[in-house]
Amino acid sequence: MTRSAALELDHVCVHYGFLKALDDVSIKVAPGEVVALLGDNGAGKSTLLKVMSGAHRPTSGTLHVKGETRSFRSPRDAAAAGVQMVYQDLALVDAMEISSNLTLGREPMKPGILGQLGFVDRRAMRREAQAELDALGVRTAPVTRPVEMLSGGQRQVVAIARAAARLGEQGVLLMDEPTAALGHEQTELVESLIAKLASRGVAIVVVTHNLPLAGAVSDRTIVLNRGRKVADVPTRDTDKDRIVGWITGASVQEDIA
Amino acid sequence: MTHTGSVPEVRAENQLPPRVTVLIVIRDQGLFVLWALLVVIFAIAARPHFLTTATGISILNTAAISSIFAAGLGIGVMTGVLDLSVPGTAAVAAVAMGMIIRDGGPVWIGLVVGVLVGVAVGLINGWITVRGFDPLIATIGMLSVLSGLALVLSGGLDIAGLSSLDFLGTNRYLGIPGPVYVSIAVFALLTVMLKFTRAGMRLLAVGGNGEAARRVGIKVNNYRVLGFVISGVCAAIGGIVNASYIAIASPTASTSVIFQALTAVALAGVPFTGGRGSLPKVFVGGVVLATINAGLLIMGVQTYWATIATGVLLIGALVVDRSTNTSISKLLVTGRAGAGKDQA
Repeated sequence: MTRSAALELDHVCVHYGFLKALDDVSIKVAPGEVVALLGDNGAGKSTLLKVMSGAHRPTSGTLHVKGETRSFRSPRDAAAAGVQMVYQDLALVDAMEISSNLTLGREPMKPGILGQLGFVDRRAMRREAQAELDALGVRTAPVTRPVEMLSGGQRQVVAIARAAARLGEQGVLLMDEPTAALGHEQTELVESLIAKLASRGVAIVVVTHNLPLAGAVSDRTIVLNRGRKVADVPTRDTDKDRIVGWITGASVQEDIA
Repeated sequence: MTHTGSVPEVRAENQLPPRVTVLIVIRDQGLFVLWALLVVIFAIAARPHFLTTATGISILNTAAISSIFAAGLGIGVMTGVLDLSVPGTAAVAAVAMGMIIRDGGPVWIGLVVGVLVGVAVGLINGWITVRGFDPLIATIGMLSVLSGLALVLSGGLDIAGLSSLDFLGTNRYLGIPGPVYVSIAVFALLTVMLKFTRAGMRLLAVGGNGEAARRVGIKVNNYRVLGFVISGVCAAIGGIVNASYIAIASPTASTSVIFQALTAVALAGVPFTGGRGSLPKVFVGGVVLATINAGLLIMGVQTYWATIATGVLLIGALVVDRSTNTSISKLLVTGRAGAGKDQA
């Protein structure tokens, strides 16, 4: 088996008592590839996301990031390995401005003695935040605006920018329902962001219920049903009816690995 | 307040709708307007004794002492921890300090021990809370323990004759009493910490959205404990300054300071959901309460009315805060004037 994938799950099982939340699931995501992870409620999407993001340890099976076998004890371990997650609730601090949210947890400090006393460098913070947004080619509100005064789309952009800035070289970005709360125009904005990140070599897994979104952004579609992988196909080789069949459990891809 | 306040400077290029800007001004500056109104009303109703330097200084002094407690509770509220053990901490700190000074110990050791009591109580409160116990119940338990401890230590008696503490209590410098300086120092230090340091930023992040802070790798529990320690130290300093002012270390925990302090915090518009708030405004909240008390006293109104007025004010503050906030969000969501225009 090649180890060139950005993220690879090998025969992962997660059991909750007698319940098999994930049953022998293997997936691979290449650098620059966008994978849509589909499935009905309870199919195991969230559990799989938790395994990939370090929030949950698999009962058995292994996980490799950029070819190295990893065992995440926490989301912090995953982040250190270059795996970032954009949560559905975005996990932003509403009262804080955009720049503080983008730099939270790795705040730039003032140089010299002030920095040693714990003073943060606000200007550097705003500069960095602006640079991170510019790198994604998005213009949101001024970086001094608090997140609570942003629209849903702008919040999503901030959450994606925060994750993207922490990826490092060719990381892995996991996204949980990135457009669940967004309108049409804002969904398009997020779609273009996903495409842009992928073109930079980021491996992206998008978990969603939104089939048009999955069709628009993904290179490959993976479908889970009752904890098992029932389909893993290039998105362009499939159509909505077949995908719905897999999601509902009416059918299984014939030659599934 | 740029960061701890909910809304930073509204610049022209931000293109916020004018009605939103007006509402933000009402929410953020209402307290100052209220205070100015109170001064005008009392200046007329309680003339000629209200609008004098002596009354002003007396109000400032009262506000200074109660505001030290309010600073601690305010930081706690912003960090997402509500510390009700404050009066107990103050009593134990004052008694410990009083006993050292009474038994001939140097004043500075008494002061240091008093402050260390605050640190210790904060660590214990924090240690209990990060184990998943409700801070409200845990600190009420601590309040009982500490109230009893103060009485046990002192044998239930006041420790009087602490005149060596006059330099913190009744002495005036440039005409201003000592407690005012202590209070200003406490507020200045904590405001700088909240606004400009990493610890302050993270405290507010933990208070605003603990889960978000945890996900970006912040050790949330450490900051919860830090919040309790700050609250404990403020309580201890408040107890020390109060004892210095009356030259008596009283072992009786006065629970009314919590209500005064929390009212000042609420008047300052610090939401009890945490994550934001302006500390200097908490001080102004303390000044407003002291002004009402002094004004009604000079007018000869029964002091019971001051309590009622305080309560009405507290509820009024909540109503104004909520209604302006809902209007602002409504305007931003439906109007979309500022939020949508500058989006890519």
